[in-house]
Amino acid sequence: MVKHHIRTNLARGGWSATPVRVLATSAALLLAVSACGTAPSEKKAAAGSDEPIVVGISLPLTGDFSQPGGEAQKGYEIWKDQVNANGGLLGRPVELKITDDASNQDTVVTDYTKLITQDKVDLLLGTFSTLLNFPASAVAEKNGMLYVEPAGGAPKMFDRGFTKLFFAQQATASHQPDVFVKYIESLPENERPKTAAYPTQDDPFTTPVIESMQKQLEALGVKTVYTTTYPADATNFQTIASAIADKKPDLIAQGAVFEDGVGLIRSLQQLNYSPKMLFQTSAPSNASQYSEGIGVKNTEGVFYTVSWNEKATTPGNEEFVAEYAKRYDGGIPAEDAADAYAAAQVVQAAAEAVKSLDQDKMAEWLHANEVETILGPLAWDETGAPTSDFLLGQWQNGTPEIVAPEAAATVDSAVAKTPWE
Amino acid sequence: MTQLVQALVLGLLIGGVYALMASGLTLIFGVMNIINVAHGALLILVAFITWKIWSLSGIDPILLSVVMTPLMFGFGWLLYKGVLSRISGSSPGMSVLLTFGIAITIEGVLNVTAGNRFRSATPSYFSQSFRVLGISLPKAQVFGCLAAVLVLGLLFVVLSKTWTGRAIRATAQNASGAALVGIQSAGVAALAFAIGTATTGVGGSILSVLYPFFPASHYDWISRLLGIIVLGGMGSLAGALVGALILGLAETLTATYVSLQWSTLIFYAVIMLVLLFRPQGLFGSRLRQDVMA
Repeated sequence: MVKHHIRTNLARGGWSATPVRVLATSAALLLAVSACGTAPSEKKAAAGSDEPIVVGISLPLTGDFSQPGGEAQKGYEIWKDQVNANGGLLGRPVELKITDDASNQDTVVTDYTKLITQDKVDLLLGTFSTLLNFPASAVAEKNGMLYVEPAGGAPKMFDRGFTKLFFAQQATASHQPDVFVKYIESLPENERPKTAAYPTQDDPFTTPVIESMQKQLEALGVKTVYTTTYPADATNFQTIASAIADKKPDLIAQGAVFEDGVGLIRSLQQLNYSPKMLFQTSAPSNASQYSEGIGVKNTEGVFYTVSWNEKATTPGNEEFVAEYAKRYDGGIPAEDAADAYAAAQVVQAAAEAVKSLDQDKMAEWLHANEVETILGPLAWDETGAPTSDFLLGQWQNGTPEIVAPEAAATVDSAVAKTPWE
Repeated sequence: MTQLVQALVLGLLIGGVYALMASGLTLIFGVMNIINVAHGALLILVAFITWKIWSLSGIDPILLSVVMTPLMFGFGWLLYKGVLSRISGSSPGMSVLLTFGIAITIEGVLNVTAGNRFRSATPSYFSQSFRVLGISLPKAQVFGCLAAVLVLGLLFVVLSKTWTGRAIRATAQNASGAALVGIQSAGVAALAFAIGTATTGVGGSILSVLYPFFPASHYDWISRLLGIIVLGGMGSLAGALVGALILGLAETLTATYVSLQWSTLIFYAVIMLVLLFRPQGLFGSRLRQDVMA
């Protein structure tokens, strides 16, 4: 009101800038500004324990990462409603404050800074992709806030000496292929691939996976016959496919996000080259979007690593899947929705264990303890990097299944890849 | 040798489709000085509609462009009359703001109605190839390129042989001159915008088969298409064709002989080099205001 009044007066030109008036204006402005500055904290101090716990989150709801961002939002919201239905967190209702960072690194920094310093949220939850989590986690760390992220497993996240960053999946990118390498190792010598091709997208989450796999498989005696890195905006894969087909590798292991995974398989089909084994990082975990993209019969035998499966018997998973189906026309949650849900579970477990929202104590507790989530048990080292193994998935009979580790497996054994149809 | 021929042929096939997608963009800029940032979003919109009809009825997606093209012509005409005509005469900067708004609106509507997930039309031939002398020609790419060449040919004939086309070109060259000899520039502008939009009817149908897409895919496409028409010369149809073929060849040749990682860089390096020596692009004409500025 005060500001508005001054502005209209100035606009009319009704005020001349005498010293007294300048002083009066500045004083009024100062009053208005300081009133804005103190209002929220006063409100907070006056409130009792019914005051909701506000969780601040910035997500890529539009732009390049809008797809995982939208799924993460669904995961977070299901968690919130389930917590509130069960009496809230520490007896207080939970509220989410979600802002859209438009998949932009600068915006995500502004968003988290604003959530922490202006909105004074009680807790934070992470955003999507390494690209966005990298700067966002630095904002949280600087402000002494616990930061549990549902994605962002690139090794570079964890060499910055942060103490309040936790990655809510089983392993960082460089350990993601371990479970597949173990599977190859378990095969009799004559069934192992002898040669391998490693195409990968230039992405902080796929490149370390493929590089690490190449190193580990070379140690097992699998000869590398082809490697290439292609940019995120690559759309035509015919040339890469024909270069690979020339080398006739037994195994193709691709660091594929999504379109590139579908694109390479289509091009291999056009050349009619089907490797004995095919591994892709994330593309095959996109359920029906993947099978529609390459044809459901062509999915048979494709390997991938994944953090979660809808059939897993982890505690709470069934309820999560059922709730998701109820809300979204019987849909199956994307892995990203489950990861977000698990990240929220981690924060919830820490708050309940230390019986407060003390960020230092929660972080300390997480460093020392294991948390049960819908992804399975998660634990972390001193950098916040998780210390378990991913799940090894494989498409069988048109459905994504889990073949290893045994505890999480949904089928008895892996099957051989069939040629393209 | 086979490798080189394979790369060249693929590059031309890819470039042909790019050329069709860029042709509408460059036409609209040439006639109206409108940089239609929503062009990519319109392509994705058509791709979604095509995909939907294909998945419900099984009608071939590329064939569906016969229906989509007149529909998009009408949509383009309405869009111009209803929205874009209001900024006629403003700077191209204004058109970027307005059409960016349209692009975001289309993306948002698609998000809500079609869902934020990847789609791709997979007719029976999408994974097959023709084989000629040891070279493989992916069928979808060949059909897409043929459709593109057909439409580009048609566009060329309309623009060079008909009175309507002459009126459009005259307005592009000199709007006030054209008005002096009796061409109604408002009508021509609406027509050119409608034709430019109609090309997305074919481009989007082809896109639905060749590339997986989701609502926000339009950012990738518009940046690629803008690169093409800047290289070729903003407003020049021939320039769009050549620019698109250069991009297609840059992709396949660098992927074959260097690494796909370099193809984007090489394409933009070519743009920079060309602009150093020809600031108006390969086929662009320098206008008096450019020289004075």
